[in-house]
Amino acid sequence: MSDILFLILRRLRAPLITVIVVYAISVGGLALIPGVTPEGERVPMSIFHAFYFMSFTATTIGFGEIPYPFTDAQRLWVTFAIYLSVVGWAYTLGSVIALANDAPFRTMLRRSVFNRQVRGLAEPFYVLCGYGQSGSRLARALDRLGNRLVIVDPSSERMAPVAVQEYGTRPLTLAADARLADVLVDSGVRSPLCLGLIALAGEDSVNQAIAIDARVLNPGIPIIARAKSAVAKVSLESFGGVTVINPFETFAYNLGVSLRAPEIVQIEDWLTATDGTPIPPAVQPPHGRWVLVGFGRFGRAISNVLDRAGIEWKAFDPRAVIETDERLVHGDYAENILHDAGVEVADVLVAGADNDAVNLGATTLARRVKPDIFVVIRQNQMQDRALVDAARANLKFVQSDIMVNECLQVLKAPMLSRFIAQLRAGDREQATAVLDRVRKEVGDGSPHSWAFECDVLQPGMFYAFFQRVGKPFRVQHLLADPTNPGARMSVTPAMLERDEETLMLPPDDTLLKPGDRILFLGNDVARRLQQRYLIEPGTVAWVCTGSEPARGFLFRWWEQRQRARAGAADGQA
Amino acid sequence: MNLEKVIFGFFIIFACTLNFGFFIGDIERPELHHPMELFAAVVVNLIATVLKFGDRTQLGATHLATSLVASFQLIAASMVWAWQLYVVGQPMNSEFTAVVVSLSGGALLANLFSVVLLIGETLRQGR
Repeated sequence: MSDILFLILRRLRAPLITVIVVYAISVGGLALIPGVTPEGERVPMSIFHAFYFMSFTATTIGFGEIPYPFTDAQRLWVTFAIYLSVVGWAYTLGSVIALANDAPFRTMLRRSVFNRQVRGLAEPFYVLCGYGQSGSRLARALDRLGNRLVIVDPSSERMAPVAVQEYGTRPLTLAADARLADVLVDSGVRSPLCLGLIALAGEDSVNQAIAIDARVLNPGIPIIARAKSAVAKVSLESFGGVTVINPFETFAYNLGVSLRAPEIVQIEDWLTATDGTPIPPAVQPPHGRWVLVGFGRFGRAISNVLDRAGIEWKAFDPRAVIETDERLVHGDYAENILHDAGVEVADVLVAGADNDAVNLGATTLARRVKPDIFVVIRQNQMQDRALVDAARANLKFVQSDIMVNECLQVLKAPMLSRFIAQLRAGDREQATAVLDRVRKEVGDGSPHSWAFECDVLQPGMFYAFFQRVGKPFRVQHLLADPTNPGARMSVTPAMLERDEETLMLPPDDTLLKPGDRILFLGNDVARRLQQRYLIEPGTVAWVCTGSEPARGFLFRWWEQRQRARAGAADGQA
Repeated sequence: MNLEKVIFGFFIIFACTLNFGFFIGDIERPELHHPMELFAAVVVNLIATVLKFGDRTQLGATHLATSLVASFQLIAASMVWAWQLYVVGQPMNSEFTAVVVSLSGGALLANLFSVVLLIGETLRQGR
C-alpha cells in the first residue's frame, strides 16, 4: 500500500505545487488590493475572505462578491485569477485522471489489492502457477474438494475466465511472472497457511525457476512441478523435495506397466476413481508390432518403454531429423506412409502427434486397413474432447487428465500415491492379491482411502501405547468396530509405514508402534468410526479388553481397590 | 550544481525564514505579527511539504514529517486567527495573538529541524 501512496505523491507533486502557487498568487493579490465598504472606507480584503472567495471561484461555484461589492481594480485581478485557477485545476485534475488510467499504476494497484487479499486469507490455500488447460482443470478440482486457491499466471487474458467459471470460492488471481521471488512471496508461499505450490507453466525452465524459488522461500511446503524434458526433471529432483511430474513419462510408464501387468493399472484406476465406482476392465495392449505416429516427447517416451519391453516398433514424424535408428521414418502421416509402416500387420497404433486432426486422421486410416487395431490416441486440445471420444480409442492420453490426477494424488492422498507407487513397482500377483482382498473385505465399489497415524499426542493413541496394561496394540484393534468390538469393520489395511519401511497388506496381528502410519481402504463410515480410537481412550480399552475403564477419580480409586482385593484374595487362595 | 537541490533547499529555508519573520516580536502584540506574513509562511510550507513527497528514504520520511508538522501548526494558527475575527467577531486581542504566535513558534521549531536535516544530509554527502 505504501508503494501506491508514494507513487501517487511523486506523480502529483507538480500538479499540487501548481495549485498551491495559483492559490497563493490569487489570494495574496486579493488581500493586497484595497476594497471599499458601503460607507466608502478603503480597507483591503482579509486573507480569510480572499481565500473563501477564491475557493468558490476557482471551483466554478461562484457565490458572488463578498464581503462588499468589488471595486474595478479588484475585478481586474479576479478576472486574471479566475483564468489562472481554472487552468491550474484543469492541469491537476488531468494529472489525477491520467494517473488513474496509467498502466503501471493500475498494475501496482491490483498487486496491492491481491497482496492484501492473500494476507487476509484465514483458511489454508494452494498456490497454483500457470493457468493453462491442466492448471484450470486442477484449480476446479481442488476447488470442488473445498480448497482455497491463489493463482498466478503471467497472462491476464488466460485468467480472465476465472471470473466467470464455476468456483465454489473464487480463487485470488494475479497476472505476474511467478519466477520473480517477490511475486511468490506476495502469493503467500511463505504463509503458514500455504498447503503447497503447483507449477504448471508451459515451459520447463519456468517451472524449474518457480519450484526452486518456492523451495528456498519455504522449505516446508510440498511442491509439484511439471517437467516435460528429462533434463529438467533430473535437475529438479536433484534439488530435493520437489515432486516432478512428466505427463508423457507417466503415461508411457503406465503403458509399460499395463503391458507387463494390466491388473496394476486396473487397481490404480479403481482406487483413484470416485467412491463406489465399479472395477474397470483391465486393458492390456497387445505385444505385437507397434506403429507410432508422431515422434516428439510423447512418442519418444513410449518408444523407450517399448524398447524395455522388447517390442518391435516403427515411428513416423515429418519433423524427424535423420537419425541412425532405421525404425524412425521421416515422413508425413499420409496413407501410403501408414502402409509402409505395415499397418496391416501391426497390432497397435499410437496416434501421438501434437495435432488432434492428425491423430484422428491416422486412426481412421489405420482402421480402414485393419479394423481391429488397438489404438492409443493423444488428445491435445480440450475442445476436441468430443471428437477424440468419438474415435473410441482403446487408450486415451490427455495431458491435463494425467496432471490433475497425479497432482491430486500427491496433494490430497500422498499415502495412497505411495501405495500405488509400491504396486507399480511390484508384480501382478501382488496387485491381484490386493484387488481380491479389498473386494472380499470392502466390496466391488471403489473404496475410500485414508491414512491413520498412531499419533501419541492424541489421547486415544497415548492410552493405547503408554497407559494401558495387557496385550500389545495390533492392527486388528483398529479394524474392530468401536460400537461392537466383536465385529470387524469393512476395511482393509493396505499398507503400513514405519520410518522408512513399508509393509504391504499388513496381517491383522501386526504389532503397532507409536508413529506408524497405516493406509486403510474401506467405506467412509468405517473411517469416521475409526477416528474414535484417536480421541477416546475408553474406546481403545473397550476393544482391547472388552471392558471400559473407570473415568472419574472416585471410580478409579474404587476400581483399584477392587483389583487389589481380588489380587489379595488370589494370593490367599 | 543540481537545480533540484537548489529548489529544494530554497523552499525549506524560505519556509523557515518566513516562519521566523512572523514569529519574531512581542508575543501578545497583534500589530507586530502581520497576517500576510503568516499567509506566505503557510503557502511556502505547503510547497515545501509537497516537494518532499515521494522520497522513499528514511531521511526523506523524516523530512516529510517535519514539514507536515510545520504545515499543520501554521494552518492551525491561521484558523485560530480566522476564528477570532469572523466567528467570535472581535479584533485580535493579546490572548489570541499569543495563541497564534506560539503555534507558529512550534512550526518554527519543526522548520528548524527540517533545516538541520537538510544541512546534515548535505554534509554527510560531502560532494
